[in-house]
Amino acid sequence: MSSKEELLKRLSDGVVDMEEDDVAEAAKEYLEAGYPAFDGIMEGLVDGMNRASQLYEEEEYFVTDVLLCSDAMYVGLDILRPYLPEVSSDDKITGVIGVVEGDTHDIGKNLVRIMLETAGFHMIDLGRDVPLAKFVETAKEENADFVCMSTLMTTTMGGMETVIRLLEEEGLRDKVKVMIGGGPISQKYADKIGADGYSQNAVEAVKLAKRLLNVA
Amino acid sequence: MTPKERLKMILEGQQADRPACICPGGMMNMVTSELMDRVKVYMPEAHKDARQMARLSKAVYDERCFENYGVPFCMTVEAEEMGARVDMGSDVYEPHVVEYAINSVSEYQKLRPVDVNQGRAKVVLDAIRILREETEDVPVVGNLTGPISTASSLMEPVIFYKELRKKNQEAHAYMEFITEQLIAFGRAQVEAGADLIAVSDPSGTGEILGPKYFKEFAVTYINRLLDALQEEKMGTIVHICGQMSPVYEEVNEVRSSALSFDSIVPMKEAREHLKNRVLMGNVSTYALEFGDPRKVRTLTENCVKNGSDIISPACGLGMKSPLRNVQAILAGVEAGISEA
Repeated sequence: MSSKEELLKRLSDGVVDMEEDDVAEAAKEYLEAGYPAFDGIMEGLVDGMNRASQLYEEEEYFVTDVLLCSDAMYVGLDILRPYLPEVSSDDKITGVIGVVEGDTHDIGKNLVRIMLETAGFHMIDLGRDVPLAKFVETAKEENADFVCMSTLMTTTMGGMETVIRLLEEEGLRDKVKVMIGGGPISQKYADKIGADGYSQNAVEAVKLAKRLLNVA
Repeated sequence: MTPKERLKMILEGQQADRPACICPGGMMNMVTSELMDRVKVYMPEAHKDARQMARLSKAVYDERCFENYGVPFCMTVEAEEMGARVDMGSDVYEPHVVEYAINSVSEYQKLRPVDVNQGRAKVVLDAIRILREETEDVPVVGNLTGPISTASSLMEPVIFYKELRKKNQEAHAYMEFITEQLIAFGRAQVEAGADLIAVSDPSGTGEILGPKYFKEFAVTYINRLLDALQEEKMGTIVHICGQMSPVYEEVNEVRSSALSFDSIVPMKEAREHLKNRVLMGNVSTYALEFGDPRKVRTLTENCVKNGSDIISPACGLGMKSPLRNVQAILAGVEAGISEA
């Protein structure tokens, strides 16, 4: 029987090494040994994902690597999650994320969602080519704390400004933070349209969300 | 010196009287709402009608925006002809894929080979023929969507990127098929009268793939495509998006006449790393949409000073870019020689 530390390390390494099967095996052994699922997620899977994002920041890993790491993490999550004590998702900070209307490039958005989820945010993913009003409706329905929008194309970036205006019209702008990103987007553009923040990549997006929402 | 003679000299690595000023089309959109209003030709109709496509393309030169013609105005033609479902967009949104043709690289045999005699492939070729017949001194640019971008338009990109590793051999077989289709379309464009071919591969960036896969997939298949195009063409341009810093060495292996980058790459840095290459770029499309002509002029002058041989926008133009901003690039390039 492996020790808890050994199993946590296998979970974490499995994520970093993109080995779904190793993660699945380690997760099952971990549960069979009777260790708490919560620690397995935080100190195993999430630890692995954090190491992967560190490697991404250092340009050792690239987007495709991180996507495969996150696959391995989600395999482990699917196994461990049912053994978590019930926690209501109301306690979590909720974000709505999507690629704005007219654009279907969602690699960057997916990466940001994964990183934000890893960091503990409850994310509602609207996908891509999202009608602008949908961001606002969802933010309202879900009582969201922030909205993240991305686009890779100059032709569609104007939609972000529309969403901000719609949030104002709905009287939601003061309680919903707006973060934007994507190829043609810049801090200057964020300032121009009155977004709360811009981040250049997924790791920065997590830091930005934490700063905007006062999360440690 | 005609725009065509000038661009030809530059692509051959010779010194011309001044830098060229072009915007190829394809991903590098050069059409704006104001331009469409000037000639009363509109998208999405212009994506599907050769005559209208040619008229809109001519307007780009006639309104003194850029010294070239270029078609098409989107990057969905190839994927659509192979079986993806495309929404043609509107007067402000570009066409985009709404339904993929396959679920995995291993299913590529289900794809339809591109038939250049029908569909929008034919529209593009007809538009090139019209431009060739009705014009003389202005270069006609035929555009192709790059191999990685085409491949990731026919299936879910996330799965595609993962399968480059997980199903490496099948991914190569898929890329070979895609590249064959692009070669057929590219050769047909040259045959129809395109002077040069521009390849944009925004989904094949070094940032997404990392140096190893960038070389193994993006560089390999872009080069295979370039090598298979006719010798008699004037040249080729390859546009790659994103940071180049992780992949300068690999980018230098791309065998195009010119290389083009987006505005995140400082021209000065690109020039330092790619000393002997013909470089194109990269006036910020943000400044073109939200700045003023003076700002655009300054950015244009900086591009020239920092070693760009062909001055162009860094990316596709935003549809709402004011015409006077767009025109300020060419005006700046022209003023450069009179002052020199």
